[in-house]
Amino acid sequence: MDLDFSSVQSALVDSLHSLLSRHAGPARARHVLANGQCDRDLMAALAAAGFLDLATSNGAGPLEAELVVEEAARTAGVAPIGVRSLVAPWLIGQPVPQIVAICEAAEAGPVRFAAAAELIIVLDGDATGMLWPEPGEIAPVESPYGAAMGYLPDRPAEPLAHGRAETARAWWRVAIAAEIAGRLTAALDLTVRYAKERTQFGQPIGSFQAVQHRLAQLYVAVQQSTWLARVAAWSGDAELAAAAAAFSSDTARWGSVELHQLTGAIGFTEEYDLNLWTMPLQALRVELGGLGCHSRALVAARWANPVETAR
Amino acid sequence: MHPRGARQTRDVRRKAALVEFGWSTAEAEYRAAIREFVESELAANQSNVGISGVASRRSVGRSFEFAAKLAERGWLTPHWPAEYGGSDATAWEHIILGEEMWSRGEPRGPQYMNVNWIGPAIMAAGTAEQKEYHLKRISAGDVIWCQGFSEPDAGSDLASLNTTAVRDGEEYVVNGQKIWTSYANSAEYCFLLVRTDTKAEKHHGISILLTPTATPGLEIRDIRGIVGEHAFHHLYFTDMRVSVSCRLGPENEGWAVVRRALSYERVGSPRYARAAFMLDEIARWAHAHGKLTDPAVAERLVLAKARCEAARLLAYCVIDDRNKQRPPGPNAYVARVAMVQADRAVGELALDIMGSEGLAANSLADEQFRSALPAGVAAGTLEVQLNLVSRAVLGLPRS
Repeated sequence: MDLDFSSVQSALVDSLHSLLSRHAGPARARHVLANGQCDRDLMAALAAAGFLDLATSNGAGPLEAELVVEEAARTAGVAPIGVRSLVAPWLIGQPVPQIVAICEAAEAGPVRFAAAAELIIVLDGDATGMLWPEPGEIAPVESPYGAAMGYLPDRPAEPLAHGRAETARAWWRVAIAAEIAGRLTAALDLTVRYAKERTQFGQPIGSFQAVQHRLAQLYVAVQQSTWLARVAAWSGDAELAAAAAAFSSDTARWGSVELHQLTGAIGFTEEYDLNLWTMPLQALRVELGGLGCHSRALVAARWANPVETAR
Repeated sequence: MHPRGARQTRDVRRKAALVEFGWSTAEAEYRAAIREFVESELAANQSNVGISGVASRRSVGRSFEFAAKLAERGWLTPHWPAEYGGSDATAWEHIILGEEMWSRGEPRGPQYMNVNWIGPAIMAAGTAEQKEYHLKRISAGDVIWCQGFSEPDAGSDLASLNTTAVRDGEEYVVNGQKIWTSYANSAEYCFLLVRTDTKAEKHHGISILLTPTATPGLEIRDIRGIVGEHAFHHLYFTDMRVSVSCRLGPENEGWAVVRRALSYERVGSPRYARAAFMLDEIARWAHAHGKLTDPAVAERLVLAKARCEAARLLAYCVIDDRNKQRPPGPNAYVARVAMVQADRAVGELALDIMGSEGLAANSLADEQFRSALPAGVAAGTLEVQLNLVSRAVLGLPRS
């Protein structure tokens, strides 16, 4: 057990930071959100540097892929990095297209990044399918939760294989948890800075204990989300993946509201960065059926079996 | 680290020396050996859970027998240095031992406190005589201690304590009160904080007296409560005379010793391990009673499970620091908050899920509810931990 970044990992994160400082960040996110809502340049830059293939590469693994998702989410990246780097590699052979979306066939709503995707992975019960959208086939759906959303075309997906849907769902949950953790981390950093700077009643609002305790509880929750996502990625364990996704979805629910409440009216404006993290959090927390579905998955795996479960 | 972690990624991961959540073979074997021992010892009683709390007469009585057996195997003080009878076990082995004990209701009873911080405090600050006498007894598992910390007017603001000890030749004369003292009825010694300088700044006038509880002038009264038998006592000191040779560390500088001891205590007892054990028991009950299909039940169970796992990971961050010989840092405050939340989450859902069946004394729900209720108060309140996170981690200003 060693919970520090190693020199290899630190180097990876440093070089990732350097790339993200050039290709992501709030200004870039605003531009992308106004222009297609999927950052193909960011995906291309990450791909060129090898950051999208860490999960299955020598010298790295799913934990490193998870860190990429976390870091990109912190810099408000608008791209389906988690699906591409944490889910697709377990399902389809190389080369994996850069823009990959994923959805449950049973979900009726718009799918994140479907309108920009080269490939959509469709999960339908135990079956996994691939759907290759024609150019212009999927119209972008207007959504304030911004991520090139679109409806799944009404045509059958090409069967991929049977029995891999649960694997896909487990890794999808890791990707959701990682992105939520990264977005919450950045949103909390911003809000803590705001609480130190914003003065009311002659003192920074961050000096009031009623504010401090809420920020402290957010910090603990963000740490919990982060470490759950990391251990889920490291282990590849479906139960931990469901626990991580359930916890981070729930934290995104109350955490976003708290962050906005603590920031006050400025937080509702487009010019202020908070919404770049909090609005996508709403889409993430309902993805794959949200808390209810993550919960059913974990309960079924851990406790619903009549055989005595391990501790 | 997870018993059912998928192995498919492990070979890939091994090549990169990154954050490493895995246990070594030696650590895994250590855990398995302890678990096997605990299960065989507790087989007749299922677990220590369900016997009216860790401070109950039965639990304390049984702890002597259990701790003596642990001592024989070198598992009572394995984390102590060899010169004090330990085997220099790593911080990881220490938390493994703690998890295995706590998940089964802490059969060491009050002695976990002796081995976790009272012994180490004596090692750090004790005289040769104090070490020789007390460390031998603690490591043999044949003594119970209580901690004379809280007073009626000194709770979270512990340093404002005003039980006084006035030097009179080779003795101190102690007057005052301590309250909420667990195990005082069965303890032979009290790790007693007293004020030896009433004029100094509050943190600088405190001394520690390793006080025999049989000392004349000490009266112990039971406080009946709702969180378990003998959980609380009230100690009254009336001209109690304690030899100066009982003082631990320099006069007036006891706070530093206590601070150090408490920094370890925040994650000394891995409550999440017990909460996770109870959660599985409650989920099995829910399954057997057809309640697992209720989505509300499922959500509560799963979020509680996530809280237990998250608390474990945050505790591991502290253990990682400790294992690398870093000074205790703010990770401990964060871990403590997470542990309290995990314990409470299980405590709260237990009664909701079991309903009226949980109301019978010593039911699963009753045990967990009453065990979790004081989690945010004992060993420093949740609010104090949140203050510390605000300042030490987030850098928020004082008002």
